[in-house]
Amino acid sequence: MNTDRTKSFIAFLVVPSFLLLAAVVFYPFFYNLMLAFGNMNLAKMRDWQFIGLRQFIKIFTEPSQPDFYEVFVRTIIWTVVNVTFHVTLGVFLALLLNQKIKGKAIYRTLLILPWAIPQYIVALTWRGMFNYEYGSINLILTKYLGMPAVEWLRSPTEAFLACIITNVWLGFPFMMVVALGALQSIPHELYEAAEIDGASWWKQFRNITIPLIRPVMIPAITLGIVWTFNNLNIVWLVSNGGEPSDKTHILVSFVYKAAFNFYSFSYAAALSLVIFLILFVFSMIFMRQSKATEAAY
Amino acid sequence: MESHPGIKVQELFKETETLRSAYVVGAMAGQGPDMVYGPSDPVGIYEATKSIRPLEDIFPANYLAGFDSTSLLWYHGHLYQIADKIGNHLALVYNKKYVQKPPETDVQLIELCKSIQSKYGYVAGRPNVYGITWNYIEPFFFIPFYTGFGGWVFGPDGVTPTLDTKAMVDALNFVRRLRDVEKIVPNEADYEIADALFKDGKAAMLINGDWSWAGYAQKGIDIGIAPLPKITATGLWCAPMTSPKGYSINANLKSDKLPMVVDLLKYLLSEQCQLETVKSLNTAPTLKALYHHPDILANENLQNSLLQIARGKSMPVVPEMRAVWDAMRPSYQAVMGSARTPEQAAKDMQAQALRKIRDMNE
Repeated sequence: MNTDRTKSFIAFLVVPSFLLLAAVVFYPFFYNLMLAFGNMNLAKMRDWQFIGLRQFIKIFTEPSQPDFYEVFVRTIIWTVVNVTFHVTLGVFLALLLNQKIKGKAIYRTLLILPWAIPQYIVALTWRGMFNYEYGSINLILTKYLGMPAVEWLRSPTEAFLACIITNVWLGFPFMMVVALGALQSIPHELYEAAEIDGASWWKQFRNITIPLIRPVMIPAITLGIVWTFNNLNIVWLVSNGGEPSDKTHILVSFVYKAAFNFYSFSYAAALSLVIFLILFVFSMIFMRQSKATEAAY
Repeated sequence: MESHPGIKVQELFKETETLRSAYVVGAMAGQGPDMVYGPSDPVGIYEATKSIRPLEDIFPANYLAGFDSTSLLWYHGHLYQIADKIGNHLALVYNKKYVQKPPETDVQLIELCKSIQSKYGYVAGRPNVYGITWNYIEPFFFIPFYTGFGGWVFGPDGVTPTLDTKAMVDALNFVRRLRDVEKIVPNEADYEIADALFKDGKAAMLINGDWSWAGYAQKGIDIGIAPLPKITATGLWCAPMTSPKGYSINANLKSDKLPMVVDLLKYLLSEQCQLETVKSLNTAPTLKALYHHPDILANENLQNSLLQIARGKSMPVVPEMRAVWDAMRPSYQAVMGSARTPEQAAKDMQAQALRKIRDMNE
């Protein structure tokens, strides 16, 4: 009787969350899956049919604007460069903030600030700052550093660089906060013992700090990679939808364009499934290889 | 709203591009607003997705007869939109502080811009006041140059793109020349930059649409509106695309709500509302009864705007137009970024437009 009541109580607690998950995760996921095997586009919006793997074949074999493989390589560069800077800067600043310094709370607040501002505002502000003639970046370069002005938003490489700079600025506070939390949980005695043994700062960092923050940082890096890989806002808003000439797209902005500019819903659904599989496989391998789930102590 | 005190009308603003996508997605899901207001070009897409309903059975013929024929958007045999404004077009906006007489030809335009720039001087090689500016990211703003050189986006059948043409190459060369050789336009200008330059008095002239003009006047700028100049080499006027801007009714609207929506629509299209809009925004009305209204006849800017509409070309409402915009944008930007020659860009535009249309219909 008691067991039945316990089971009912558990079901009572679980069912609402399950229904919510079904509505916001499972249904859209399976609907996307169905669309990916169909031909829903502008002409067949209401009477689309299943066409098997044709959308996937189209993604990998037919030329597109922008080119799928070009966008894929750009997405890898985007993710690697961004996450590298996020982690390096984040851990470096966390190490500084973990020291006994005056005004630590103020520095911490200032450094978290980029994270606290809505992405849309950040992206549009940076876009303005990258303007060739009136943007503050070029004004600093030309007026104070004596360098030539850069055509940030007109040339593909520079426009992509502008997106990366914006996202680096926006993304390092997250890694900094995570790393700081991990650093503060390391027992100080370990460093004291290492100092008695004559270990240098570098040796302490390599043998104590890195191994002990790793269990926290690996999931954070995994999340960072997934978020960065799928970060539509920054690329879309800084480059104004992939400009110039669709040369700044990453996969997710390409999906958005295919769906909401070209109304190729099935093509976009197939492409988003490809992205999902890439990230799923990557996360599994990365978590396993990095032994992130193993205890540090 | 006095006649319907129990009804609350909610208005939701979406920027034109966002509106199109958001409305289609909403209507496809059986949702969306009861009415949608905007330019006529997405009507083809709304029709293809069955997102809007025909209006000819709802509004009697004698009511519709009061409107200028260009404001009633018929497509595939059905009336899908009734406009309260005609135009939605680009024209030359000039600041009277810098420009006394607007240019009538491209040659005059270049001369005038150069004289303004030299009069107000340069700082670090950049003019204090640019002669002219516009958004040269969006191909919509390029169309007047294309038409000025004798081009048009579709062939006689109205759906086959005609972008790989001599007119396209000439127009692209011309626009690039204005920036790189004549140096009368800023190095970079999207909509916001062009708008800000004009508002800040850093550009003497601007190419922008009728939706923006009231904002410049409110900013305290003494503006004049003039038709876009003639291209001397061809003898053709730069013709912007024109389109009605109006209301359509959601295909999902329940029949019990329809009478109220119709009442609201009639109110929004009424003489009183249109006259108010004309006075505040300088836009062209759609009710024939207003064409000889003294306020309209006495408004010089509005008369010039009407002249520009007369010289304009109607924007096609076919869904293929979407493919043309999407095909033009990257190549046009590549030319402006010096990453592609005009000849190559014209070829790419055409190939992409054909491919996108094929994708759209397969």
